[in-house]
Formats: sequence, structure tokens, C-alpha cells
Amino acid sequence: MSKNSTIKDSDVNSTHLNILIIDDNEQITKMLTTFLELKNHNCIVANDGEQGLRLIQENKHDVVLLDLAMPEFDGYAVINALESKDQLKNNKIIVFTASTITQEELDELVKRGVTSYILKPIDIDLLHSRIVESATS
Amino acid sequence: MIPIKNILFLVSGVSSFIIFYMGLVNYLTAVEQSTGMILLIFATAVAAGTLLSTVYISKSITKPIEKLAQNMTEFSRTNKITNRKPINTNIKEIHELNDNFQSMGQKVEKTISVQKEYVEKLKEIDRKKVEFSSMVSHELKTPLVPILGYVQMLQKQELMGELNKKQQDAVDEIYSSALKLQRLVGDILTTQKLDLGKLEFNQENIDVAELLNSIIKDFKPIASQKNIHLIKDSAEKGVIFSDKDRINQVFSNLIKNAIDFVEPDKGQITIGAKTDKNFIEFFVKDNGVGISETNQKEIFKKFYQIDTSTSRKRNGSGLGLAICKGITEGLGGKIWVESKENIGTVFYFEIPKQPVKINNKK
Repeated sequence: MSKNSTIKDSDVNSTHLNILIIDDNEQITKMLTTFLELKNHNCIVANDGEQGLRLIQENKHDVVLLDLAMPEFDGYAVINALESKDQLKNNKIIVFTASTITQEELDELVKRGVTSYILKPIDIDLLHSRIVESATS
Repeated sequence: MIPIKNILFLVSGVSSFIIFYMGLVNYLTAVEQSTGMILLIFATAVAAGTLLSTVYISKSITKPIEKLAQNMTEFSRTNKITNRKPINTNIKEIHELNDNFQSMGQKVEKTISVQKEYVEKLKEIDRKKVEFSSMVSHELKTPLVPILGYVQMLQKQELMGELNKKQQDAVDEIYSSALKLQRLVGDILTTQKLDLGKLEFNQENIDVAELLNSIIKDFKPIASQKNIHLIKDSAEKGVIFSDKDRINQVFSNLIKNAIDFVEPDKGQITIGAKTDKNFIEFFVKDNGVGISETNQKEIFKKFYQIDTSTSRKRNGSGLGLAICKGITEGLGGKIWVESKENIGTVFYFEIPKQPVKINNKK
């Protein structure tokens, strides 16, 4: 689409970020990894909430992409666990979801300490600018 | 209305008095005292007998009828038979009356309980419908994420390399179809929510001029692609208190329709607003093919698509205008259309400047 934006892209590409992706859908994590690696970022994938929470607590990531709807230990459970240990605001968490979530619910999550959100299906440019914004915020 | 008891006592009282009185007159005027005496005693006995039998009749007829009436009153109040005992009477008709009342009552009781069951079942179906539609929407959106993701990547040569013209066209087609599918999923979900009264509305201050300018800005690129003029014709400067996203959604549907119905290169679409004391009226006007009177009546119905040779290129879901109608009504307003074939169409929608009664849950 934006063929003339190579200069801008290279600027953004110069920011090398460590990104943790937490989503149970492997096709989605694969697509996101492909995209973000093409953008010169480093991706780590967790396929469930529990594993994701452990990775958040073990290592420092520049940005965490968190899916809300996952079986058993879902995105909300991750947020609750981080909140109870006062770790929610220290992490840059971007919630991304395909669920029928209301604006109020999203605002509530931001109020609690989630950095940003994006709705699925996603515009990859928008996703990328959200990631860079969140990492540098 | 007079109670049956009173009539009985009146009739028997008067008749026993007359019998007694005739007996007394007979006694006083009788030639032979003993005959008069016997007549008097006889009359007194008859009179007393009449009164006593009235008391008896009253007890065995009016008391049970009163009791039955009381049971019926109680039944109509509670919809339940509170007294299932047989009525204490020797009169056959009253027994039959009570039996019929009891069996009728039981039928009513049963009908009511069946009805309650149905209502519960319907509520359950409603809950399931909401669950189902949000599940379907989630399940349909999920595979769209990688589809749209990869297509967008393919469209960027700096990410995935250069495509030849044919490949690029193919990728663009996939992209626009995937977007269409995404919109359709959203429309179905919105329609379902509107049907169930579950669509939520926000309230916020909206600068009308700003709102119209941002709509022009959003749609200008799409209109320009087809060489269609999209302009604002409104000096309205007020602020209203309503749901900005939903108003945008109505405008978006109306403008997309207008773009489909005007001729490229000659098309002109005008949007605007005007306010009176309590309402703001928005409009979207085009110089397109117009809508026949028959179609005007139908277009706000779900899945209605105008099927004429000029509009066959249309590929919407047929839900857009139904959603516009649902939203404006949800915001306490209304939507209507004025159109002349081959001259153009104006869609108006009018909503309160301040919320009247918005079905916002919180």
C-alpha cells in the first residue's frame, strides 16, 4: 500500500524491540512473528496465559502483546495476576482481542494499567505504531 | 345489586305477615271465637314455617354461593385455587357449579405454569443467541487476523519483495474481500445486538462542525478514487450530547451507499446538519439514480437489497440501513428518505441534542 514510505519505515525499523506475544492461536502468533521480525524486532511466543505470565515475570520485554480470549488461563487472568503483585504498570502490555468487548471494558483495562489495546482483525501498520508508541511511552 | 338473601327474606317476611294479618283479622271478626282462634294459630304456624324455611333455604343456597364467589375472587387474584374442598351443601346445582369451577381453575393453573415455562425457555434462547453470536463473531474474526495480516505484508514490497502486476491485483482482491467479510461479521453482530436491545450507547459532547469535517476527511479518499465530490453544506456550530461513534457509523453507511449509487465523475454527495430547539437533523444528499417509491418503503428492512440493473454492482450485506434505523431509534430519533428517480436521494436522520432515554446499561 504505502510504497513511498520507505524512509519512515527504516526509521521505525531502527528501533529494535523485544516483544512477547501471548496467544493460543498458532496461526496468529506465526503471522505476528513473521511481520515483527520483518520489522527487525525480536519475538518470543507463549501459547497460553500461564506460560506467558511466567515469561513476563522472568524476563524483561519491551512490549507484551496479550490476547484476552484463551482457554483456562486467559488474558484477564494474566492481568489479574500481574495486578495483584503490582507488576501491571511496570510492563507495557497491549491487549489485542477479537472478542465482543465494549469500549467501557477497554477503558477500564487501561485505567487498571494496561498500556494500550488493539482489536482483531488488525491493521498491521496500526499495530506496529502502537507497539513502538507503547515501548517508548 | 341486591343479595339473594335479602330478596328471600323480603318475600317470605311480607307473605308471612300477610298470612298472620289475615289470621288476626279473621280472629277479631269471627262469629265463633274458637274457629277464629284455630285459624289464627294455623296462620301463625304457617307464617313461622315460612320464615324458618327461608332461613333454611338461605343457609343452603346463599351461603354456599357466597363461599363459591369468595373462592372465585381469590382465584382471580392469585391465579391459584386456594380452597379445593367440596362446598358444604345438599344442593346438586351448587355442587356441579363448584366442580366445574374447580376443573376450570385447574386448567387455568396448568396453562399458566406451561406459559411460565415457555417464557423461561424463550429467555434462555435469547441468552444463548447472544452467546452464540459473540462466539461466532469471535470464531470468524480469528482466521481473518492472519489472512489480513499476510495480505497487508504482501502489499508492502519493502517487507516481502516486489510482486508482478497480476500478483498485486490478486493480493488486492483478497484484501478487499477479507475487509468485506470483516465488515459483514461486524454488521451481523450489530444487527443481532439491536434485535436483542443489547447495543450500548455512549454519551459525550460532540462538536457538530468538527464531526462533519472529520467525516468528510475520512471519506474524501474513497470518493476521490471514483471522482465523486464529497462536500459539507452546513454552518452548524453547536455542540450536542450523544454517541459520536454511532453517529459516525450511520454517516458511514449512508455515504458508502451514496458512493455506490452515484455515477463516477458526475457524482456529488453533500452532508450537513441543522438544529432546532431539541433536535439535530443530519442529512446525506446525492445526485444518484434515486430510489423508487416502492423501494423507499422497504429499504430499512433487514437484508433488503434494491435489485435494479443500475444497482446490481452493489455488494453490501443488506444490513446497513437496518443498522442506521436501529441506531437512530436507539438514540431516541428517527431516519427517513426522500428521493426522486434519476434526480437523487436525501437521507435524513434526526436525534435529540440531549439524550432523552438512552438504553445504556451503565
